[in-house]
Amino acid sequence: MPRGKAAVPVAKEPEIMESPVRTKFPTARIKRIMQADEEVGKVAQQTPIAVGKALELFMVQLVHRSAEVAKDKNSKRITAPMLKQAIDSTNEWDFLRDIVAKVTEEKEGARGGRAKAESESDEDADAGEVKKKGRGGRKKKTAA
Amino acid sequence: MSDHEYGGNDDLSLPKATVQKIVSEILPPSTGVSFTKEARDLLIECCVEFITLVSSEANEISEKEAKKTIACDHITKALDTLGFGDYVPAVLEAAAQHKETQRVREKRGNKFEDSGMTMEQLFELQQKEFEEAKKKQSGEA
Repeated sequence: MPRGKAAVPVAKEPEIMESPVRTKFPTARIKRIMQADEEVGKVAQQTPIAVGKALELFMVQLVHRSAEVAKDKNSKRITAPMLKQAIDSTNEWDFLRDIVAKVTEEKEGARGGRAKAESESDEDADAGEVKKKGRGGRKKKTAA
Repeated sequence: MSDHEYGGNDDLSLPKATVQKIVSEILPPSTGVSFTKEARDLLIECCVEFITLVSSEANEISEKEAKKTIACDHITKALDTLGFGDYVPAVLEAAAQHKETQRVREKRGNKFEDSGMTMEQLFELQQKEFEEAKKKQSGEA
C-alpha cells in the first residue's frame, strides 16, 4: 500500500510540533470514546495512539490560549469563560462552540460558579443526545 | 473487544487525574497558573469532543476508501481536512515510534508462543504437573 503523505506540496521539512507533555492518554479509553459513535467500526491498533497524540497537541494549544486570556485579565486562575473566549476566537475550534455556549459570562461571586456547575451536569446528559454538526449521523451507543 | 463490555458505565470521558497531570506539564505549577474545577471539567469535555470529531471524519474517509478499519492514514487525512494539519508530522512520528516498540516487543519473544503448544495444551500440562507434584508430596508424607 503506497504510504504517502496527503498530496500537499511542502516547500520545507514538515515541522514536528513540540510538546512538553510526557503523560499519555489511556488508549483503551480513547478507543472506547471513538467507538461510542455507532458509525465507527473497527479501529486499527495504531489508531488510538495517533488520536492520542493529536489530542495532546490540541490540549497544549487550548491550554496555552486559555492561559493567555487569563494573563490578559491579570488572573492566575483560568476560568470556564476564559476557555470559552479562547475557543470563540479560534476558527478551527468552532466545533466546540456548542459545548461552551452554556458557559455564561464571568460572574463575580462564587455562588454563580456553583450554579453553573450544577446546570452543567444536566447539560451533559442532553448534550449526549443532541447531534452536533451533522457529521456522519453520529449517535451515542446506549448500554448494550 | 472486551473493552466494550462496560455495560451501563458511561465512562466516555477522560480520567481527571491524567488530564490534571497533563495540564501541569503544560503549565508548570511554578507559574502559579491553574484551572478552576469548572474550567478543567470543560476542558475534558472539549477533549472528548475533539476525539469524536476526528473519529467521525476519519470514519467517513475510511468509508470512502471502502475500508472497514480506521487506520492512522485516515486520522492524518481527517486532521488535514479539519484544519489540524500542523499536528500531522508529530502524529506520524508517534505512530511510527509505537510501531517500533511493538516490533521490539514481538522480537523479544513470548514464552507461551515459543513453547509450540496451545494455551489449552499448556494448561493441561500444568495440571498434570500439579497432580504429579501432589502425589510426590503425599507419597513422602
